[in-house]
Amino acid sequence: MPATTKVIRKPKRKLTEQTYVTEISKGLSLTMSRFFKNAFGPEDKKEIATVMYPEEQREYPERFRGIHRLTQRAGGEPRCVACLCCSTACPAQCIHIEPAEYAEDDARYGYERFPAVFVIDELRCIFCGYCVEACPVDAIRMDTGLHMPPSTARDHFLYDKETLLSLPSRDGTYESGNPRHEPGDPTHPGIDRLQGH
Amino acid sequence: MPTFKLNGQEIPFEQGDTIIRAAWKAGIEIPHYCWHPGLSIAANCRMCLVHIKSGRQMAMPILKYDEKKKKYVPDTKPKLQPACQLHAQEDMEVDSVSEVVKEAQSHVQEFLLLNHPVDCPICDQAGECKLQDYYLEHQADFKRKRTEPVHKPKGVRFGPTIVYDAERCIMCTRCIRVCDELVGDPVLDMRERGNRNEIVLAPGRELDHDYTLMTEHVCPVGALTSKDFRFKARVWFLKSAPGVCTGCATGCNTHVDFDPRYGKVYRLRPRDNADVNQFWMCDQGMLTYQATHERRVTTPVIGRGEDAEKVLMDDVHDEVVARLEKVERGSLAVMLSAQQASEDNFVLATLAKALGTDRFYLGEKPVGDWTGDDILKHADPNPNRAGALGVAESVLGLASLPGAAQLAQDVESGAVKSVLALGPFAGADVSALEHLEDVIVLTDGEGPLADVASVLVPITSWAEMFGTFRNAKGMDQSFVRAVPAAADVEPAWKTLVAIGRELGEDLGLARTGEVRAAMGTGASTAAESAAPAPAE
Repeated sequence: MPATTKVIRKPKRKLTEQTYVTEISKGLSLTMSRFFKNAFGPEDKKEIATVMYPEEQREYPERFRGIHRLTQRAGGEPRCVACLCCSTACPAQCIHIEPAEYAEDDARYGYERFPAVFVIDELRCIFCGYCVEACPVDAIRMDTGLHMPPSTARDHFLYDKETLLSLPSRDGTYESGNPRHEPGDPTHPGIDRLQGH
Repeated sequence: MPTFKLNGQEIPFEQGDTIIRAAWKAGIEIPHYCWHPGLSIAANCRMCLVHIKSGRQMAMPILKYDEKKKKYVPDTKPKLQPACQLHAQEDMEVDSVSEVVKEAQSHVQEFLLLNHPVDCPICDQAGECKLQDYYLEHQADFKRKRTEPVHKPKGVRFGPTIVYDAERCIMCTRCIRVCDELVGDPVLDMRERGNRNEIVLAPGRELDHDYTLMTEHVCPVGALTSKDFRFKARVWFLKSAPGVCTGCATGCNTHVDFDPRYGKVYRLRPRDNADVNQFWMCDQGMLTYQATHERRVTTPVIGRGEDAEKVLMDDVHDEVVARLEKVERGSLAVMLSAQQASEDNFVLATLAKALGTDRFYLGEKPVGDWTGDDILKHADPNPNRAGALGVAESVLGLASLPGAAQLAQDVESGAVKSVLALGPFAGADVSALEHLEDVIVLTDGEGPLADVASVLVPITSWAEMFGTFRNAKGMDQSFVRAVPAAADVEPAWKTLVAIGRELGEDLGLARTGEVRAAMGTGASTAAESAAPAPAE
């Protein structure tokens, strides 16, 4: 195929543009007017795009993925059933869980297990949110609206179960929006085994 | 050999083989739950239904929905038969992939999952569960039932090792058949029928025979879980290496399941070997993996009691060399071990012979409360007695080796003044060795020899090395390294080769293959180069 060319001509400059002087004074007048307006003008007329971080902070968007939290049940225990789906999905391998079993007289025995140890290495975490997607029981969320506070020690970034449970969501709740059906509730699927057969 | 046709492919079979067994031998899987090659035929899961196209056709009258007439009309469809129960016959034509068969498989699968709790996230079987695998492979649709599933007992303690979840159970009766046929202890049975049935214990009994973990092993779903493995690891994190059980002289073949991230062994599973253990292992054997992590010796120690000093690996090598240089060679006793690999015993015997001693003994694990049986468990709890004695015969020309009791006697009489031993077990009271100045013990675990050692050299355990055990039948079975050893810890033979080199006895061995070539034993069930196989 023969090459086709398209000729683009240089835009012609007017004399005022060619001499630069008027263009420079135009630009400077905008800069200086904004400077005087923002430095000495009335407060409500100021147009400043930046904030004085860290004294001032912007609000993060609604779906911002912040530090993880473990959602709680009504009694304050974690909803987590230690299935390791989150640590399986985690591409950074930053979640360490050791599952444990409820005592045999517990109503949840046989139905669930719980995390004896739950540690997230927030330094290793890449905040992708896969753990939240993988969780089958809505136990882990990233809706705290917090980013990692800085620290000088690496072990400050290892968030254990108690720390993760102590973080509220942005609206201040420790639970999740989805209801749970505890053994003993009329809605719990295991209830009719107690009626015997 | 006669053949029959399975999906157009010629499958050879022996007289008496069922269709599923002949296909299994040919490496073709017909989906099944209740059939197990080592157990009797139950034919109750109906997953292996196939269409026999040859011979007289049986048809079932059905009602089929007619799209045009908008109503059900009478029709027929071929009657399917279970491949696990039907004996293969010459020139039989079997179809296991036709639309009729696929529909049947899908419906059986839907039926089995009708009351299943689908608690895969907290189920230990997840990842190696046949319900999961077949759901993806053979179930065409979601289940149509929308009502509450039937609930049954969960977390039932069946015995010291096994927990039962009736809701996950598909009533294939494999566990019942293991107890009846393999063990001969009919402790499990089924009660009720339909969606109410569940596996129960015999009244007044619990599941406490020596093969309880086999009931868990054959369970195709998560109904039976072993207390030892329960909640410890997710199986998709585990890799598998071929191993040999160290529990007794039978030498059952194993899959060593380990987590490569932590370098930790989590469980053993039987590896099929028709000549040794068929499909089975005993409970004690299944738990021998614990010895790779518990009561291990990983730090070299020089001295005893209060003078004991933990040192670095290089220092203990120098110490062993220095002590072996100064000991009187004629009174140096060398103890082979029926617990350690043939490679270790071979290099120890070769080195000792080169050093010029002729006092050889055999250390072994005492029988203690171990008892053999007629199924798998051998009366001798040492995995490599035959291998150690084989080394004694080929390298030293000795038909038998005296035990630890003789060693203790020789120490008392003054004939033995120093000891170089492979640990950890002696087989008799060796406290007399405490008074000797030079007792050099190479061991992977704590034990009576480690207790009396004046120089303790840690070595790798079987899970951390390539090696060979010779079982009671005289079969050389090699095993493959699964997990990495602690820092600087080497197999005993490598440690001994390094020590020998510094003593001026260069054995010229650097790799396991060279040791095996020098030993002259080639037979093995798992080649050294074999990469760890993925978990089944």
